[in-house]
Amino acid sequence: MSSLRAVRNLRICSKDCLCLYVCPTGATDTETGQIDFEKCIGCGACSKACPSGAISMVPYQYPKQQVKDKLVVEKLNEIIRSKVEQEKMAQYVYDNSDDVVLKQFSKALIRANRLIVEDLYREAGYMLPQSQNTRDFLNKLLDENIENDIKDDIKKLLDMLELNE
Amino acid sequence: MKKYICPICGYVYDEAKEGVKFVDLKDDWKCPLCGAPKNLFEAEAQVVEEIEELEETDELREMSYGEISALCSSLARGCDKQYLFEEAKLFTKLSDYYNKKSKTKTINNLDELLSKINEDLEKNYKQARLVATKKEDRGALRVITWGEKVSMILKSLINQYEQDKNFINKTKVYVCDICGFIYIGDNKPEICPVCKVPSFKLLEVGKEG
Ligand code: SF4
Ligand code: SF4
Ligand SMILES: [Zn+2]
Ligand SMILES: [Zn+2]
Repeated sequence: MSSLRAVRNLRICSKDCLCLYVCPTGATDTETGQIDFEKCIGCGACSKACPSGAISMVPYQYPKQQVKDKLVVEKLNEIIRSKVEQEKMAQYVYDNSDDVVLKQFSKALIRANRLIVEDLYREAGYMLPQSQNTRDFLNKLLDENIENDIKDDIKKLLDMLELNE
Repeated sequence: MKKYICPICGYVYDEAKEGVKFVDLKDDWKCPLCGAPKNLFEAEAQVVEEIEELEETDELREMSYGEISALCSSLARGCDKQYLFEEAKLFTKLSDYYNKKSKTKTINNLDELLSKINEDLEKNYKQARLVATKKEDRGALRVITWGEKVSMILKSLINQYEQDKNFINKTKVYVCDICGFIYIGDNKPEICPVCKVPSFKLLEVGKEG
């Protein structure tokens, strides 16, 4: 079996349907729009034919995450802490204001800070959801006192994400 | 004759070519490419900052709920990119859960937010850049470069807002969904001046109600 499979980005797909004609197994023709990966043999024909560049060939297993230097991670974490605090300040402004414009502005600030932090985390050792770091993080959350349905979700994630390290 | 550079998009204002000294430009002059205000521009010759030795500490620190929430939403994006929609949904749910658990930070005015941004620009980003350069971590350098630019923009927007609370009233607000760049104006730029993503990723933040 091929180590690749085809996936379609529904946000780009223009429904030109060329991929329907070239797929030798009918994997591209589904009611959900997602390619049926049980049928897909990874030949790549659909990806080459797609006029919109909406189909990527992705590996079943992604390469291992780059190992990050400890000091780099520490410095990025300092920025993360600061930006999260700023998000929480903006949230306070948002929650405590009746002014439409200030609410709009603080909402944009909340979002901007959140995006900065999400990006920082990727470079601080959490690029891959299948990494050991992510597992350690999730396991640590399980130790805490949290609701049962949240615990179940965390366990589900640990089951679904295959470790790759 | 000097050159002045837009720290956001890299546009160069060349006094020799323009025939007008940079200081003589009006205060409300803006970068013709990205709209960054005049006061953000930097003269080309830069002072080289002193390199201090930064030491590793081995402190293991508890993550705050806000941090947990942000890490979960980051991982949700990571799953989304891999077309793991079920996993993405679970991470988003976790992120919302911890976001609700986290407390807001009380401030009396936006100056307190400004001083945090200044601290990032003056200390945190500088140190991080030093370390990332030394360790040749280009991924980290990318996130530092983008974050620094966005921080500068946030700073100048908050300053503008404090000077004139009406400057947002009649126009629109956009946030780049990739890097967090905020654009306030009628027509969003064709690409994000910070991360260069096409404009469809600049999402509008509307007025509520
Ligand atoms: S060929 Fe590409 S654009 Fe057309 S339906 Fe298939 S995935 Fe969508
Ligand atoms: S890679 Fe080949 S088998 Fe798989 S969906 Fe595309 S055309 Fe069909
Ligand atoms: Zn500019
Ligand atoms: Zn951007």
